[in-house]
Amino acid sequence: MGGILCPIRGGPGSRGALAAGITLAKENQETLHFLYIVNLDFLNLTERGRTQVISDEMRGMGEFILLRAQAMAEKDGVEAQWTVRQGNVTEEIMAMAKEIQASHIILGKPKHEEQNVFTMERMQTFVQHLEEQTGAKVVLAEPGGAE
Amino acid sequence: MKIGRGALILILIIAVWLTFTLAAGVSAEPAGQQMGVSLIGNVIDAQNQPVFEAQVQLLQENEVIAEGLTQGDGSYRLTLPAQVGDNLVLRVERQHFETTTIDIAADDFAQLAPDEAVTLPTIELQRKITIAFWVATLVFLGMLLLIALEKLHNVLAALTGVSLVLGISYLGKPLIEDLFIFDFTRALQYVDWNVIFLIMGMMIVIAVVEGTGLFHWLAFFAYRVSRGKAWLLMAILMVITAVASAFLDNVTTMLLMTPITVQIALALGLNPLTLLIPEVLASNVGGIITLIGTPTNILIGSYADIPFSGFLSNLSPGVFISLIGLFIYCLIAYRKDLFHATSGVSPVLLEKLEENARITEPANLAKVGWVGLGMLGLFLVGEHFHLIPAVTAILGATALLIWIRPDVEEMIEAVDWTTLVFFMALFIVVGGIQEVGLISFLAQWVASLVGENLPLAMIIVIWVSALFSTIVANIPFTAAMLPVVGYLTNTVPGATSLALFFCLSVGSAMGGNGSLIGASANMVTAGIAERAGYPISYAYFLRKGMPALFITVALSMVWLLLRF
Repeated sequence: MGGILCPIRGGPGSRGALAAGITLAKENQETLHFLYIVNLDFLNLTERGRTQVISDEMRGMGEFILLRAQAMAEKDGVEAQWTVRQGNVTEEIMAMAKEIQASHIILGKPKHEEQNVFTMERMQTFVQHLEEQTGAKVVLAEPGGAE
Repeated sequence: MKIGRGALILILIIAVWLTFTLAAGVSAEPAGQQMGVSLIGNVIDAQNQPVFEAQVQLLQENEVIAEGLTQGDGSYRLTLPAQVGDNLVLRVERQHFETTTIDIAADDFAQLAPDEAVTLPTIELQRKITIAFWVATLVFLGMLLLIALEKLHNVLAALTGVSLVLGISYLGKPLIEDLFIFDFTRALQYVDWNVIFLIMGMMIVIAVVEGTGLFHWLAFFAYRVSRGKAWLLMAILMVITAVASAFLDNVTTMLLMTPITVQIALALGLNPLTLLIPEVLASNVGGIITLIGTPTNILIGSYADIPFSGFLSNLSPGVFISLIGLFIYCLIAYRKDLFHATSGVSPVLLEKLEENARITEPANLAKVGWVGLGMLGLFLVGEHFHLIPAVTAILGATALLIWIRPDVEEMIEAVDWTTLVFFMALFIVVGGIQEVGLISFLAQWVASLVGENLPLAMIIVIWVSALFSTIVANIPFTAAMLPVVGYLTNTVPGATSLALFFCLSVGSAMGGNGSLIGASANMVTAGIAERAGYPISYAYFLRKGMPALFITVALSMVWLLLRF
């Protein structure tokens, strides 16, 4: 197995996943792989099209967020690597997990206000799908507090 | 030879433009032949606006003896046969209007020579509400709803509107004649090609600017100058976004500013929303001062023939005052974050920040600067020799392409065709409600409210457009409001100074600050912030944005009332 995959977006919502990833990586003596996925679907809400420049901007922001996460992990003595990819979130998580042969995938749970039955049901289905497709164990981390 | 998608769309646009121009040229030919005495006159609607392409017929004993169409200015000219009897009736027909007839006395022109003309009294046509009126209105409201509820991409919503308006016109007419709204040629006449070409030219210029790294450099410059003082950083970033938004469009400005702002905020230990919200609010305010700063200004400038200097001189003092008010408000709204910011940037993050903040193409940036200055000069003085802004934009874009010699295919691809298609489709859908008379009824209703009171009209236009822009997309709203404001400009004493158009500009743009969906710039900022883990909810934006709307609109309104 090649390590622990921790897809994050940054912000308070990712703090739980980040902490869980660091703890698990320490316990298992595995490398932590942070993943940021550039997704430009928000442009669908405007009349603006997608351009390479926008992708590059988002990639730059993703790299910065992951560098910050890497610095936090290394501060705790955990070896961490990071990758920025672009595309469909689910597909990219699965592809990355297969590539690094991840033992675990850490996902942040939805925040309390989002934890309705529908969301949790979808989350469970998503977790099951990920585990079947990648062979990795999915860990749901509690969301972090305010930053 | 491989032709890219962008090039194909460009060819298509030019072809449609030529078709429209040729069609307009054909219809502008005077009807009738120069055979004898002529009858000339004008046809107007209830708003005193010329009625175009109305069929004017002269009947004798129910037989048509002369006919023609009204021109763009509502005028017509009928040339009569050499021998004309009594019992003449002039009949004026036009889709969506009541047919009007007037009796003509043959004695009026019996003594005239063949090359002489009789001027008839102006004929006023009354609007007729048909089923087409309701169809066009529902299609327009449906389009607004689809956009507001985010059920469809804006472009798809507008294209659906076009398909419905034209589809029902063509396919419905054989079943029920009153379903006809307008034909394709007429629909194209509603497309404002000045707007399309101005936006297209500016997009090419922006595409070059985008790739230079200018915004990263500016944001990092703000970070260094502020020396860790969050309130000062916020102030500088607000100024940068306001000024940038005046010369580029707000959406592009925020697309480029948001990612680097997030990075700077994270590096400083600040919640990025502390900087992003003031930035986007300033962007929506600052864009107003120039013709090219907001899509709504481009629409207004083209419709009302307001030059670049017109926006600058009439709106910049008000915008300046509003920005000061906005800054004070943001200081208060974010005081906890701004004055208790943690600092301490790790060397790795600082290195990354600096790496991201480099001017990547200095030579191109210099060329853009020179061409930009030239364009600014032409925008400012062009009005003196009737140089329309669209031509300046195309000249600047072409000069830049020739000077920089980028891959033309890439540049054409960089043009945001979705926006252009959105505008073209929008013009047609709004044209539909103009054609059936909805805008006329609306204009009459507003005119009856304001009477001859210019200040009241200004206050109503500015606040109605501001508040409407918080709930419906401001571009379609402004496009629909233009004829209404145009009518009020002609009827309210003192409004010929175009004061009401400036009110519309302020209201529709600053109104975007009232809600998350009020402006596209808000939505792209929220989209990027959400992808950085800092979602901006509708309620959050409403809490921060609505007070900003009231402060900035009120300050600008005071300025406009004093100015006009």
